[in-house]
Amino acid sequence: MENKLPITRMSKFFGQEDFDLQIQIGQEYLHGDINMKLVLYRVDRDGTDTDAVYAEVGKDQIKFFPPIEFNALVKIEAPKNSSYKSGVVRYNEPGNMTLSVYIHHLKELGVELRYGDFIGYPETEEKVRYYTVSNDGLVTSDNAHNMFGYKPYYRTITCVPAQEVEFRGI
Amino acid sequence: MAVPKRKNDISVYTGNQLVDRRQELLDRITKSDTNLPESIMHDDLDLGMLDFVKNNFKVISNGEQVSVIPKILTIQRWGEFTNTWDFADLDGNAKLPFIGVIRRPDVQPGTNPITQRTIPDRRTFYYASVPTWDGAQMGADVYKIPQPTAIDISYDVTIVCTQFRDLNKFNKTVLQKFSSRQAYTTVKGHYIPIILDSIEDNSPVELDTRRFYIQNYKFTLLGFIIDDEEFEVKPAVSRLFLMNEFMTDKGVEKKYINKDIDLTVAKFSSDGNQTQFSVGESIGILFNVMINGVIQERDLDFYHVSGTSKISFPQPPAENDQIVVTYYKGRNSVFIDNFGKPIQVVKEYFTYDGSTLDFTVQNVINSVVTFDVNGLTYDENSGVWQKISDTTLRITDEMFIGATIGINYLY
Repeated sequence: MENKLPITRMSKFFGQEDFDLQIQIGQEYLHGDINMKLVLYRVDRDGTDTDAVYAEVGKDQIKFFPPIEFNALVKIEAPKNSSYKSGVVRYNEPGNMTLSVYIHHLKELGVELRYGDFIGYPETEEKVRYYTVSNDGLVTSDNAHNMFGYKPYYRTITCVPAQEVEFRGI
Repeated sequence: MAVPKRKNDISVYTGNQLVDRRQELLDRITKSDTNLPESIMHDDLDLGMLDFVKNNFKVISNGEQVSVIPKILTIQRWGEFTNTWDFADLDGNAKLPFIGVIRRPDVQPGTNPITQRTIPDRRTFYYASVPTWDGAQMGADVYKIPQPTAIDISYDVTIVCTQFRDLNKFNKTVLQKFSSRQAYTTVKGHYIPIILDSIEDNSPVELDTRRFYIQNYKFTLLGFIIDDEEFEVKPAVSRLFLMNEFMTDKGVEKKYINKDIDLTVAKFSSDGNQTQFSVGESIGILFNVMINGVIQERDLDFYHVSGTSKISFPQPPAENDQIVVTYYKGRNSVFIDNFGKPIQVVKEYFTYDGSTLDFTVQNVINSVVTFDVNGLTYDENSGVWQKISDTTLRITDEMFIGATIGINYLY
């Protein structure tokens, strides 16, 4: 059994009850008012057969756990006009997506969000854009991710657009 | 240690193989109706490169052939878009993987080995003589073309993909194709070499961006341009004279006495008025001229200007006299056989002593051109002589003691 060390810093001003209350208020706003929903496609790393040498998989060869809907604060960067070769073969690169998600929310759902998982964000009723997690935000030691220096309370997850050959939904 | 024996006279090609192959190559480039090769310009060479990539660089990824952008991409945006929409995603971007051919705009002076020795001032050279007929007069046009201009065009063949295995497949395909120094594409019947210069990787593998592989294969096409604007078509100088030649019913009759070197015997029948006879092609080396089997002496009995097709007599031969001209038609008077082997001609004389019937010459006979007795020629079917070995001829008919026997032969 893991050791548990009680957090007593700033206890004269801020404690677990305050922390929980703040998160509850925040989730009420994020989940209730904003209600930005995404779908998490977690890769079944053990169940997916990979290439013996390069650990690659072909198109539509990745196996997934059942998709899970979750809430997060979504920021999507502006697309970039790029080209594959010296200005020729242009492509419009969709901007990266940055998610801010409550750690408590992930615990409630009982899921872990890892590097390389896929996330679907419905842009319109007809179009879902898929992203792959390039930074799962597991390290939350900085001040920004700690509530008043008490404890971490959210994760920032960076996602880059997934190509169709990588993932195109289940 | 003794030097190993080498066989230095190996006939790799037998018979007329090389001649046939040269003719085949010529036929490939003159399939059009103009009797001239078709123009080859930059766009033709670009198309040749594009076809080469499409036909040779086929890679299967995830059970499907990797798409090749069907045109060479330029700076026109709409053109690029129309060439990628077949395999574009909902964002209008080309789906990975794909292969593109990008030509560098700058075209450099050529290094094609066949045109490294250049002739200045765009001088034109004889290509063909084409018969013409305007309804009243038969003639010929001379077609002349300049030396093709060599150019080098550089291409980047780029593969964009997401799997290492696709890179391996493409790399294998390219390197196998270019295991020799060059591979060839075909442009309007011409074989054009392509050289693989280098392979470079430009993959933008970063953490927080979309990941894919880009590899560039740099090629140089060693091409040449042929511009039909530079072709010249002029009437042949001797048009009227040619008409006279072909209108007569006493035309030239030809036979070849040695296939290896295209030795030609042309026969004419005199009409009693004509003093000039043309064999219809340049005479490279003139062996002899005979009237009714009697060898004529040059500059006395007849005249011939070297390199021309005509034999002139100071007086017209009598009507129905048979005039025979034996010659080699090599254009530059270079006397070699179809295998590139030099051939020499010599005439040896012997005196018949009444007893010796076999006459042995000093060289191995390739072909007997003429056999004459006191200037009167006899061919092999006359029953006067026969060849009994590579160096010996035997008399098989009676003749006067002291007769001079002349044997003109190739060796």
